[in-house]
Amino acid sequence: MHLLVNGRPREVHPAADASLLAVLRDELQLTGTKEGCDRGECGACTVLVDGRPVYACITLAAAVDDAAIVTVEGLGSPAAPHPVQAAFAALDAAQCGFCTPGQVVSACALLAERPSPSDAEIRTAMSGNLCRCGTYPKIIAAIQAVARGDFGALPASGSAR
Amino acid sequence: MAARKKGKRFITTTVEVEGRVESKIVEQPAFDPVPWDADASLAIVGQRAPRVDALEKATGRARYTSDIKRPGMLWAALVRSDAPHGLATVDASAARAMPGVLDVLTADDITGVLSSAASKLFDRSVRYYGQPLAAVCAETAEQARRAARAVRVTIAPAPFVVTYDASMADGAPLVRGSGTNFALNSPLVESRGDIEAGLAKAQVTVSITVRTPCALHSAMEPHGAVAEWEGDRLVVWESTQGIFRVRANLAAAFKLPHTHVRVLCDHMGGGFGAKNAAGPHTYTAALFAKRLQLPVRCIVDREGEQLDTGNRPASEQRVTLGARRDGRLTAIRCEARVPLGIMGWEGGPAKIYHELYSCPNVHTTETFALVNASAMQAFRAPGHAEGAFGLERAMDVLARKLGMDPVALRVKNFAKKDEEKQRPWSGNALLQCYEEGAKRFGWRSGGEKQVLRSAQDDRSAGDRIRRGIGMAAQVWGTGGGPPAYAIVRINADGTANVLTGTQDLGTGARTVFAQVAAEALGMTLQQVRCIVGDTERLPYTGNSWGSMTTPSVAPAVRMAAEDARMQLFEAASEMMNVDAGTLTAAGGVIRSSATDRTMTFSDVSRKLGEVCIIGRGSRGPNPQKTGIFSFGAQFAEVEVDMDTGVVRVLRITAAHDCGRVLNPTLAESQLEGGILQGLGYALFEERAMDVRLGMPMNPTLHDYKVPTMADAPIIDAFCVGGSDTTANHVGARGLAEPPIIPTAPAIANAVADALGVEPMQLPLTPWRILSS
Repeated sequence: MHLLVNGRPREVHPAADASLLAVLRDELQLTGTKEGCDRGECGACTVLVDGRPVYACITLAAAVDDAAIVTVEGLGSPAAPHPVQAAFAALDAAQCGFCTPGQVVSACALLAERPSPSDAEIRTAMSGNLCRCGTYPKIIAAIQAVARGDFGALPASGSAR
Repeated sequence: MAARKKGKRFITTTVEVEGRVESKIVEQPAFDPVPWDADASLAIVGQRAPRVDALEKATGRARYTSDIKRPGMLWAALVRSDAPHGLATVDASAARAMPGVLDVLTADDITGVLSSAASKLFDRSVRYYGQPLAAVCAETAEQARRAARAVRVTIAPAPFVVTYDASMADGAPLVRGSGTNFALNSPLVESRGDIEAGLAKAQVTVSITVRTPCALHSAMEPHGAVAEWEGDRLVVWESTQGIFRVRANLAAAFKLPHTHVRVLCDHMGGGFGAKNAAGPHTYTAALFAKRLQLPVRCIVDREGEQLDTGNRPASEQRVTLGARRDGRLTAIRCEARVPLGIMGWEGGPAKIYHELYSCPNVHTTETFALVNASAMQAFRAPGHAEGAFGLERAMDVLARKLGMDPVALRVKNFAKKDEEKQRPWSGNALLQCYEEGAKRFGWRSGGEKQVLRSAQDDRSAGDRIRRGIGMAAQVWGTGGGPPAYAIVRINADGTANVLTGTQDLGTGARTVFAQVAAEALGMTLQQVRCIVGDTERLPYTGNSWGSMTTPSVAPAVRMAAEDARMQLFEAASEMMNVDAGTLTAAGGVIRSSATDRTMTFSDVSRKLGEVCIIGRGSRGPNPQKTGIFSFGAQFAEVEVDMDTGVVRVLRITAAHDCGRVLNPTLAESQLEGGILQGLGYALFEERAMDVRLGMPMNPTLHDYKVPTMADAPIIDAFCVGGSDTTANHVGARGLAEPPIIPTAPAIANAVADALGVEPMQLPLTPWRILSS
């Protein structure tokens, strides 16, 4: 089947029951997307499918044939980070960092939909991404800083660099 | 800096880890750097430098154990018991025949150390629900998971106990099959003064009974290992808080010399106390890898993580406080009961009762009962988080009974020294924590009475939402200690590497040690890179537990950097034709007071060519007869919905004293993290055990409720105090565990203020609130 992954067309051969997460991590070696629970509870595996945030662990790969997938790697790199990634780094919104890729992707999805989210909108939109180190206050600050434009203009919705 | 010392090189010292005191023979460092006291002028240490690996993490480039993929790698999955007690029969014939399955391990395959240890790997004698009984290895993760489900386990059931009362009842089934259900030489009694005399002297007494839940660490990265044999050498990537301990475990299990075991941990997805040793997953990966001669990854699944990788055991505490009418404590008594699991250690609730307040008469009894439930593991401030709930709730009740402000009551009973051990504190800014915290929180002067009045106003107004405020204090041993070593290597281009065998759990260890080295070298932070997490190529440091990494390792890193700088200065003095004693360095530039000429580190290094400058540092012993602790006070405001019973924490102000803060941003993150875990402990988190089946009912992140972003209050967290050079020459004490300790009691005290009833059981679920 075909996928457009981080802007590049990819041909993948998943088993019929393989999850999108397994395809990304095990077949395409995109290990930025994390497996924290494998049952749609923690949000560490959040990726964008045609611009919408989904839990890759409970998304059947076969169900997203031909879709455009954006992972945390596709949003930016250490040399050219996405504004959300730059804000997370500058404002210490990652401790152990294991949930961070999912948090970053969810934050991008939120900002694409609502460029100036209220505090309540941030908390609601992000509450499907668990963090055990307790970075929530810093993530809220990072999202607000991006919304203010402190880290530059956001690229077009759902696009990969 | 001080000259190299003469005299004894090895001396005996004591170190304190999570309340346990150990005696060790340690190396006396070759020299002691001049302490960075309060007046030290530091350019990099104390700055809000961003985490050095922050962009790696934010862009998904940071590699964790579960991201390691080796050529030909296979996947392993564990099979667990579905009953709490009995004898298991394991039939793996169907699993062996499944596609992709290459190997199965059961008790029959386990020999040597792993079959004789206290916790035998895949032991057929089942003692708790979720105990590993077998493992399968397959070509893909999904095949392994499926095959694990196809292993047929039949358990001939035996009577079991999962509660304290059942375990301690006459004729109770024995958890270990023999002996007694008393664990750890229970009951453990600790006493100072004369408790009966203290109670007799009291003009006011309060007695309460509190209950705390069994809480699960729930790190986002589950336990996991990838193992690979290179001939007769074993390489293991492990998500761990202690690479050297895992090496020792593996070396013992496989009878290998330390030269033949390499343990690696680059990025690590959270520990909180549960990842301090090799586990069944580690041995499974290493055994399969040996049998199949291919690399094997074994990651614990989420259900296994919640069932069987550690917990903070529940407790019941019967607390009595006696005080004079002016608030001065005359007696503190606690009787604690802890259902420990099948094993554990004595990180019990009692210790904080001896440490936090000045009181001549303190008496505690702890009884640890074995139960048919998975073993406890240290969980962020083990014992103190539980004990603080009992002690600080009792102090709140006492304040109300005395008509005294809760802060004033605590100030009145401030301990000027460590009364348990009769020794001075190395430093203690708890009074400043009370003062600054109260001020920034807006704690009303006159406090409790006024607050109670406002709460009563709410009640008379018949408001559905009631607000309340509360506070609590904290103490925790954070001295760290030897042994810990570091090497600083100056490269030919004038950059430097810090090599130290610690691990960064997300605490920011890499960042602060790079800051310490850059400061001591006189370089910029960008010129220094800190490398951690490799037992083969880095010098020893201990586990990252007991809030010890910073106070243990930072002095070693600083000493190594000073050593390297002195050597570089000797080279520079030759090149600049000046005395080395005239040289200073800052920002990578070396200056001499004897000449206008300057040289950069890279000038000197380049001139030296490939001459390698290597500085060596070690952690010196702690001062004798000195209590090294961190302190703090937290203030909470809550609102309670009287119709639904839902408690919302609106804001927390946290003032903590941990000596010198190496990086205020990272310190705040640590504080916020502890507070949020404490909030979960206060409001949501509880392993729900079906006592009839002996089965945990909520081993998922859906049913075991950790806080979400929607639950996060406004947090104002900061550090007071300053450099503690009695503790060590860097002046820093630990900060990782302290912030979880006072959060739950502060929240419960605020709920008491809001409702006018005394919540005595955590978590404060809506049901418990409504029924109070």
